[in-house]
Amino acid sequence: MKSKTLYAVLGLLVIASMVLSACQPAAQTAVPDVTEAPAMTEAPVATEAPSEAPKTDRRGGWLDEIDVSVIAGDSAISQLQAGEIDLYSYGLASDVYPAIKEAGLNYSQSYGGSYSIMFNPAVFDDTAVLNPFSNRKIREAVNWLVDRNYVNQEIYAGGSLPKFFAITTQLVEYTNLIDTARALEAKYAYNLEKAKQVIADEMTAMGAAQGSDGKWQYNGKPVNLVFLIRSDGDGTRKPMGDYVANQLEAVGFTVERAYKTSSEAAPIWRGSKASEGLWNLYTAGWLPSGLTRDERSQIQQMYLNSSVQAVDPFISNVSDPEFQKLGDDLAQGTFSSKGERDQMMARALELSLEDSLQVFVIEQVQYSPYNSNVQVTYDLAAGVEGAYAGPYNLRFVGQEGGTLKVGTVDLFTEPWNTISGSNWVWDSNIMRATSTGVSNVVGSGGLMGDPYTGLAWPQRIESAELTVKNGLPITSNLDWFDMQTAESIEVPGDTWVDWDAANQKFITAAEKYPEGATANVKSIVTYPSDLFDTVKWHDGSPLSPADFVMAIIETFDRAKPESVIYDESYVPSFEAFLASFKGYRVVSTDPLVIESYSDAYNADAELNILPLWPSSPVGLSGENSWQIFAISNLAEENGELAYTSDKADTNQIEQTSWVGGPSLEILGRYLDQAASETYIPYEPTLGQYLTKEEAALRYANLKAWYEEHGHFWVGTGPYFLDKVYTTEKSLVLKQFAESADPSDRWAAFSEPKLASIQLDGPAQVGGGAEAAFDVMVSFKDQPYAQADIKQVKYILYDASGAVVKVGEAEFVSEGLYQVMLDAETLAQMPTGSARLEVAVVPIPVAVPAFTSIDFVVVP
Amino acid sequence: MAVVAQSPSENAGAKVSLRNSTFLRVSRYVVVRLLTLFATVVVGVYLTIMIANMGGYVDQIMRSQVRDTITQKIALNPAMQKLDPAVRKQLIEETITQEEERLGLNVPLAVRNARYLTNALTLNLGRAINMTSDAGSKQVRLIILERLPATLLLMGSSQLFLFFASIFLALGLSRRYGNFWDKLVVALSPTSAVPAWFYGIFLILIFAAIFQILPFGGMVDSPPPSGTLAYSLNLLKHLILPASSLVISSFFLSIYNYRTFFLIYSSEDYVEMAKAKGLPARDIESRYILRPTLPNIITNFALLIITLWTGATITETVFLWPGLGRTLYRAIGLYDIPIIVGSTIIYAYLLAMTVFLLDFVYALVDPRVKIGEN
Repeated sequence: MKSKTLYAVLGLLVIASMVLSACQPAAQTAVPDVTEAPAMTEAPVATEAPSEAPKTDRRGGWLDEIDVSVIAGDSAISQLQAGEIDLYSYGLASDVYPAIKEAGLNYSQSYGGSYSIMFNPAVFDDTAVLNPFSNRKIREAVNWLVDRNYVNQEIYAGGSLPKFFAITTQLVEYTNLIDTARALEAKYAYNLEKAKQVIADEMTAMGAAQGSDGKWQYNGKPVNLVFLIRSDGDGTRKPMGDYVANQLEAVGFTVERAYKTSSEAAPIWRGSKASEGLWNLYTAGWLPSGLTRDERSQIQQMYLNSSVQAVDPFISNVSDPEFQKLGDDLAQGTFSSKGERDQMMARALELSLEDSLQVFVIEQVQYSPYNSNVQVTYDLAAGVEGAYAGPYNLRFVGQEGGTLKVGTVDLFTEPWNTISGSNWVWDSNIMRATSTGVSNVVGSGGLMGDPYTGLAWPQRIESAELTVKNGLPITSNLDWFDMQTAESIEVPGDTWVDWDAANQKFITAAEKYPEGATANVKSIVTYPSDLFDTVKWHDGSPLSPADFVMAIIETFDRAKPESVIYDESYVPSFEAFLASFKGYRVVSTDPLVIESYSDAYNADAELNILPLWPSSPVGLSGENSWQIFAISNLAEENGELAYTSDKADTNQIEQTSWVGGPSLEILGRYLDQAASETYIPYEPTLGQYLTKEEAALRYANLKAWYEEHGHFWVGTGPYFLDKVYTTEKSLVLKQFAESADPSDRWAAFSEPKLASIQLDGPAQVGGGAEAAFDVMVSFKDQPYAQADIKQVKYILYDASGAVVKVGEAEFVSEGLYQVMLDAETLAQMPTGSARLEVAVVPIPVAVPAFTSIDFVVVP
Repeated sequence: MAVVAQSPSENAGAKVSLRNSTFLRVSRYVVVRLLTLFATVVVGVYLTIMIANMGGYVDQIMRSQVRDTITQKIALNPAMQKLDPAVRKQLIEETITQEEERLGLNVPLAVRNARYLTNALTLNLGRAINMTSDAGSKQVRLIILERLPATLLLMGSSQLFLFFASIFLALGLSRRYGNFWDKLVVALSPTSAVPAWFYGIFLILIFAAIFQILPFGGMVDSPPPSGTLAYSLNLLKHLILPASSLVISSFFLSIYNYRTFFLIYSSEDYVEMAKAKGLPARDIESRYILRPTLPNIITNFALLIITLWTGATITETVFLWPGLGRTLYRAIGLYDIPIIVGSTIIYAYLLAMTVFLLDFVYALVDPRVKIGEN
C-alpha cells in the first residue's frame, strides 16, 4: 500500500513537472502576419559604471592580483551570484540577457558576429530545376519576407540587433551613413504582402506557376528549396532557419529543411559548385570584425564575385555592373575624397539590398556579466576581452588593491609565443594585461586603442608627425600629432627596407632601390627621453634600443631562405607585407626617433602612425624582449622548437611555448647556453645596440624570473604573469608596481559616454501648423556637451513607414535640440500615424543613440 | 581379465607426455588466441580510422573548414585590411595551400590510412592535427598522458567505490530478500536511467549554487593551493560532486543487478544444503555464493578497470573536469584522427590483454576450467 502511495506521489510529480514545462513560452511560434514600420532598434544600454577612478600614486594595475580560471558559461551567472567569481569576461549570447538582468548583475555588451541567409545565386546545370534565387528580385524580396524584429525578440530575447547591411549595425560606418541606413531599413521593413507580390511576379516571369494548393511548380514539379540550416554553434540558427523556412512556405515554396553542423554544411555550400544545385539557402554566420572604422571592403567581400572568399556561391554571383564597380572601387580605394567615398558607400548599401546575395538578419550582441562592486572597461565592438585599456581600469569600485576573480571560457588553447602563438581572444586578453597598450588597429605598439571609437592614442610616445601623399582620402580625427601632405614622399637612402640574412645586416633603400623609392605615408615617432630609464621588463631589465631592433629583425629573418630560422610558412604573409612596406629608419636612439614609410594607408590618419615597439611583429598580443627571441631562435636553429605549428608539424618537433609544456625545459637549456656565452644574436647588427654586459644582465634576470615563476612570459604591462596552471586551466596575474604607468593612466576610458535621449512633442500635428519636438540629450542625467556631439539627425516616416524627410535638429542649449517640422512637409503627409526618429551621433563613442515618437497627422 | 601393468619408466614417459600435451595445448591456445585478438585489434582500429575520416569525406569537410577559417582570419585582420585586395587574395590562396599540405590533404587517403594503422599498431601515437595538450604539445602521447591522471582519479574513485559498495550491499540484500531496503533498492533502480551529468547539474545547483559549500567545477581552486597536502584536500573537495553524480547514476541499478545475481546463486541446492547443515551465514556467502560467482565478478572488475580509460565525457564537461573523455570528444569534433586512433588503440590493446589474461584467471579460480580445452 505504501509503495502504491509512493508511486502515486512520484507520478503526480512527473505530471506536474510536465504541465509546468508545457506552460513555458514557446521558443518558436507562428508566422506573424502584421505589416509594420521598422521598430526602433534601441540596443539595451550597458549598465553604468562609476565614473571617477580613485586618485592614487599607485603604479601598474589597480588590483593586487587577478585570478583567472575557466568557467562554464552556463554557470557564469550562478557563480557570480555565489561570489565564486567577480567577472565573467567572455561574451555570453544575448539569450541570457534577461537572466543577467533578473540576477541584478552589471554587464558589458559588444558585438558577437552576425547571421544571414546566404543564397545560391547560380542557374542550375539541370535546366529542369528552377533556382528562384538566381533572380536578384526574388532575393531582394526575401528582405520583406523576414521580420528581423520578430527574430530578435523571439530568438535573441530582444538583446541583439536587426541587421540589414554587411557593415556593422550601429557602429562607425553605419553611424556615418545613418540617414541612408535608416531610410533603407524603413524601405525594407517586414512586408509580407509586398514580398508575396514581387515573388509571384518574378516566379511567373521565370515560367513557374502556382498549383491549386498554392505551391509554386516548375515543369510540373514543386519548386523545392534545399535549405541548409545550421543546428550547432549557439543553437540560434536553427529556430532562425525554421522561421525563414516557414515564411518561404507561406509564399508558396516547398522547403526541404536540411539540419547540418558546420562540418556537414561547409562541403555543400562552400565546397560544391553552385550550379550543381545541391542547395538553395544557408544560414550563414560571420565573425565580428572588432571596432573597425572603415568597412568599405565589406561590400566586395560579402556580395561580389571578386570577394576574397573566392568560393561558390560568391564566384557564381552575377551582380549589377554598377554595384560590381562600386564594390571593387571601394575595396581598392579608388576614390579621391571622403565625400566621394561616402557617396559611393551610400549607393553601395542601396544596391547591396537589391543584390542580396545574402539577406542579413541579426547582429548578435554579447554580454559579459559582472558584480556591481566591480568596474570594467570594455571595447564597444570586441567586449571585455578585446579592450586594450581593460586591464588598466579593471578594479573594485572605490578601492585600490584586492584580488579579483575572473572566469572565462578557455585558456591556453594553443601555445603562447608572439610569432605564431595563440590568438584566441581569452588568451590574448591575458597577454594584453601583461603588455604596454598594444593596439591591433595598426598592428604595432606604443599606442592605445580607444575602446569606444577604435582610434589610437599615444601610450609611450612623446610626439608624432604624419605626412601623407596629396590626394589620398585620409582625414584626421584627433589632435595629438601633426599632419601634413606632400606631393611626393621620398624614402631616404639609409632606410632599412629589407634584410640580408646571410650577412645579418639590413638592406637599405639605396641598395634595394638605387633609382629611389617613394611612399604614400610617412610617420616620425619620437619617444620620451627617459624611455629607457622608466620602462622596465617584468624581470627587472630596463628597456633597450636592442629590443626595438630585434623586433624588426624578427619580422624579416624568418622569411629568408638563408636564415637559420627560415620558415617557409611565413613567406606568403611576409611577401604581402613587403608589397606595401617601404622601410624603417632609426633616426636616433637618445631620444629614440623612428621613421616609418608605407604604401598602405588607412582612412583615419591616427591609424597611419607607425610606431615601433617590442611587441608581436605579426600583430598578435604580447611583448617580446630581445633575449626571449634569442633563446627561442637558438632552439629553432637547433631543430628542437619552432614558432609556427606548420614548421613544428613538418619537422615533427614541439611548437614554441613561453608558458608551458616541453618547450620550457628546452628554452631553459638554451638560456643557460646563451648566458654562458653571453650570446648576442645577429651580432653584426644587434651588436651596435647591445653590450656584452647588458646581455649578461638580461640573461641573468630572465633565468631568475624563470626560476621564480616557471615560465618565460615577460612584458612591460600593468600586470605580470605570476603563475601558470595549464592543466587546471587557471593563472595568476599580479600588479607590476614598477610599471611606467600610473594606475589611472587610462581612467578617461573608465566607461563609454553613451548618450541617452528623450524626445518630446505633440501627439497630433497638422492643420496647417508647424510642429516642434524637443530632443534632450544627456549622459548620467547631465546634459551631453555640444562639443562632444557630432550631429543630431532626425528621420520622419509616414504611416506606411516610408521616409518623408531627413534633417538635422537645431541646437538650443547644452543638451537640448529641437526638430522643427514645417507646415508644408506635414501637409504632404498622408493622414494617420507617423513617426519621428532621432539619432544622436556622439564623438567620444562610436555608437549612436536612437529614440522615436509616434504621433498622428491630421488634415 | 588381463591386466596390463605399466613399468615405472613407462609411467614417467606418460607423465612427460601429459606435460607435453598440456604445454602444447596451452601454447597452441596462446598462439591462436593472440593471433585472433591481434587480428581483431587490427580490424577494429582500421574501422575506427575509416569511421573517423568518414571514408574520406572528412577531407572535403577539412578543405572547406580550412578555406573558411583562413579567409575569415585574413579578411578580418586589421593589418591585412590595408593591403591591396589582389595581394590579400593571393595571400589567402597561398595560406590555404600551405595549410592543406600541413594537414596532409595532398597525400592520398589510402596512404594516410595505412600510415595511421601502422603507427597505431606499433604504438607510435604521433602528432595531433589541430589539438594541443593544455601545456601546448601536439604529441598525442603527451595529450593523453596529461589528461590521464584526472580521468583515472575521477573514474577510479567513483567506479571502484560503486563496484565494491554494490557487491557488499547486494550481498546483504540477497540475505534479506523482500525486506524494506530490498524493496527500496528495487523501486529506486529505474533512477539509473537518468545519466550522471543530469544528477551533476542538480548537485551543482544544490551544493554549489544554493548552499555554496562545494565548488561548481574544475579540478582545484583558482589559484591551486600550494603544498601537496593542501592541494590534495582541495582536489578531494572538487572530486566530491562529479564522483557522486557518477555513483548516484548507477548506484541502485548496480546493487539491483548484483543482488539478483547473488539471489540466483543463493537458491542453488548446495546452498540450501549448507544452510540445512547449519553453516554460518558468512561461510555460506564466502564459500558457496561468492566463490562460484567469482569468474563473473572478476570479469566485471577487469572490464571496469579498462573502461576507466574512456572517461565520462558529458559529466567531465558539466564539471569542467580535465579528463580524457572531454579530450576525445573534442578530437572527434575536430576530426583529429591521430588522437581518436591513439585513444582507440590503447583501449583496444588493454581490452585484448584483459580478455587474454581473463582466460588464465578463470582457470586459476575455477578448477573446472582448463585452458585450451573445448
